[in-house]
Amino acid sequence: MTALRERLQKVNPLWWQLGLLVLAILFPLPLGDYHRSVLWRTGLYIILGLSLNIIVGYAGLFQLGHAAFYALGAYTTALLNIHFGVPILLTLPVAILVGAVFGYLITRPILHLRGDYLCIVTIAFGEVVRLALVNNIFGITGGANGLSGIERPVLFGLVLRQPIYHYYLVLFFLVFTIFAVRRLENSRLGRAWMYIREDEVAAEAMGIDTVRVKLLAFIIGSGWAALAGSLYAAKITVVSPDQAKFLESVIMFCIVVLGGTGSIPGVFVGTLGMVTLPELSRALKDWRDAWLGLAMVTMMIARPEGLWPSRRIRMEIRAAKEEASVAPAAGN
Amino acid sequence: MSRKFAPVLLVAILLISLFAGCKKEPETIKIGLEVPLTGDYAYEGQGMEKAVRLLVEQVNEQGGLLGRQVELIVEDDAGDPTQAALVAQRLVDAGVVAVIGAYNSTATEPASEIYNEAGILHITPSSTATRLTQKGFQRFFRVCFLDDRQGLFAAKFMKEVLGAQNIAILHDNSTYAQGLAEHTKRYAEEMGLNVVFFDAINPDDTDFTPILTNIASAAPDAVYFTGYHPQGGLLLKQSGELGLDLQWVMGNACNNPELIQIAGLENAVGTYVTTEPLPKDLDYPEAKEYVAAFEAKYGEPVASVWWLMAAEAFNVIRYAIEQTESTDPAVLAEFLHNEAKDIPGLTGPILGWDEKGDRLGTIHVAYVIDENGNFILNPEQPSP
Repeated sequence: MTALRERLQKVNPLWWQLGLLVLAILFPLPLGDYHRSVLWRTGLYIILGLSLNIIVGYAGLFQLGHAAFYALGAYTTALLNIHFGVPILLTLPVAILVGAVFGYLITRPILHLRGDYLCIVTIAFGEVVRLALVNNIFGITGGANGLSGIERPVLFGLVLRQPIYHYYLVLFFLVFTIFAVRRLENSRLGRAWMYIREDEVAAEAMGIDTVRVKLLAFIIGSGWAALAGSLYAAKITVVSPDQAKFLESVIMFCIVVLGGTGSIPGVFVGTLGMVTLPELSRALKDWRDAWLGLAMVTMMIARPEGLWPSRRIRMEIRAAKEEASVAPAAGN
Repeated sequence: MSRKFAPVLLVAILLISLFAGCKKEPETIKIGLEVPLTGDYAYEGQGMEKAVRLLVEQVNEQGGLLGRQVELIVEDDAGDPTQAALVAQRLVDAGVVAVIGAYNSTATEPASEIYNEAGILHITPSSTATRLTQKGFQRFFRVCFLDDRQGLFAAKFMKEVLGAQNIAILHDNSTYAQGLAEHTKRYAEEMGLNVVFFDAINPDDTDFTPILTNIASAAPDAVYFTGYHPQGGLLLKQSGELGLDLQWVMGNACNNPELIQIAGLENAVGTYVTTEPLPKDLDYPEAKEYVAAFEAKYGEPVASVWWLMAAEAFNVIRYAIEQTESTDPAVLAEFLHNEAKDIPGLTGPILGWDEKGDRLGTIHVAYVIDENGNFILNPEQPSP
């Protein structure tokens, strides 16, 4: 096993990345439309997970209202398309902008909050957005029924109707997201986020503008979630306040935590566990939800760092555990 | 097991479940049922499943359709558009001939696109959003009625039964109530009635005295309120306390015992409610037989009209398959559009469908609140 691993590490990572991409392109071809739709949904939630990972994983800020931005993106696309006839794909940048602007407006006043306090405010914001949508704010959101009649996206004259096209559309943005997130992770900004996550005071002392850097995490993460919302609206053609449900935010949060905070492969694993597996085990009906609860509890006890954690977080949690087990002995 | 294998195991399980369940049995006729078995509308969805299953069992006991057994495939959409789109794909992949569902319009819309592309006959028992039938889908039908049918009925009822000439219409600005109010106004004016008052209340208010005095000064022969029962009850109560001589008629959102509790019995007596009939009040042999069979099998009454509508949708599919001796959705849809007239339905005779797939005719009836605080079927109903 170790020999194999060593040999694998010598291979240029570009090769297996390319291999994975080819696999992702070929994988849905022998499948039926249902399974293609499941893959589409998996891809969408990976994008959502990666966007939340910027906030929760990298910057270490709690965000339990992420679904609100997902819904904002979807509603932006829906409104622009229904009322102004803007083609779906052109609404994507606007949706990202709307998500980012709201991300800024909401988090600017609450950035000084820490941990659980921030968490509560984000939950509240998620609920405010959902209730605003349900109550048909400004008479444009269609109330509890949501908005319907969104057109299909058209790409070079091809109407994207079948699930397979939507899968490829999401795959395109997913690859782009992974590329961007990896660049971010190793950038000056990414390092600043992780510094803040580890020790905010020390980060500030080292000359990092913590307010600006934390804001950027929220702005980028929120805008990206809005992009996922647009992709959702493009396939489902209906948007409803259900998208901003608290449960959606919890699922996104769990994707990040279950897979491994701050880890890109972790988000993949988390999405498989939180979204794909429950969908495929439809036959189990109510037991699906029980599985989610059980998985979360087991995970937190047995593997708090997640299924596929980033190396840094794993070391951290392991070290903290050892410290804790050593400390009482020393105290005596 | 090493912890390193956990992700590998997860992926393996995933792959196995991906390829599971891909078999085909050509002998049965597959009918899909897409309803919310979990979530906010679970009560309705579970009842709808029971209602349809009863008919499927009856048909199979009698030898099935065209000599083939009927297989009901039930999928849960939780009333959620995302899940609706997914389970719609599942039903298409399972090879169903026809689908009954979904419950709410938000779930029906994305599913209907998928059924339309797959060329499957799709009948919704309960989604009343107008735009569903405006996309030109040739294989999409409703067995429920649009809100404009209730508007037509209300206008007729006020004209023919109450003998009203001047009417007032009041709504609460919700999409549903405003729609119903506007339909009623249109039909009433077509029938030559004068709409002397047309306005909305704010459902958050609790004091409706100003608007009530305004209505009274317009001196209508009848007032039609299309909003929901909490406000309906307050309107009755305050109108009674002010001693106004108004004849109230309420829409189907007021068909709820709480209306009387809020209004107080003395203020509610003699108020009419236009609504779909309760299953127990359906005066057709098919309906009585079905309701009795349902109670015998499940030990509970058919509590909601939507359960019965789901059974009705299956009934329509069964009738179409028997009459055309075909399971081709194209043939079935063609039959329902052009030839289906006077189908003996569970919710009364089905007159047929218009070119958009909306059901013709109406089954709305008027109930009246009696001295004991019960909703009873008004003895006098307008002409059909």
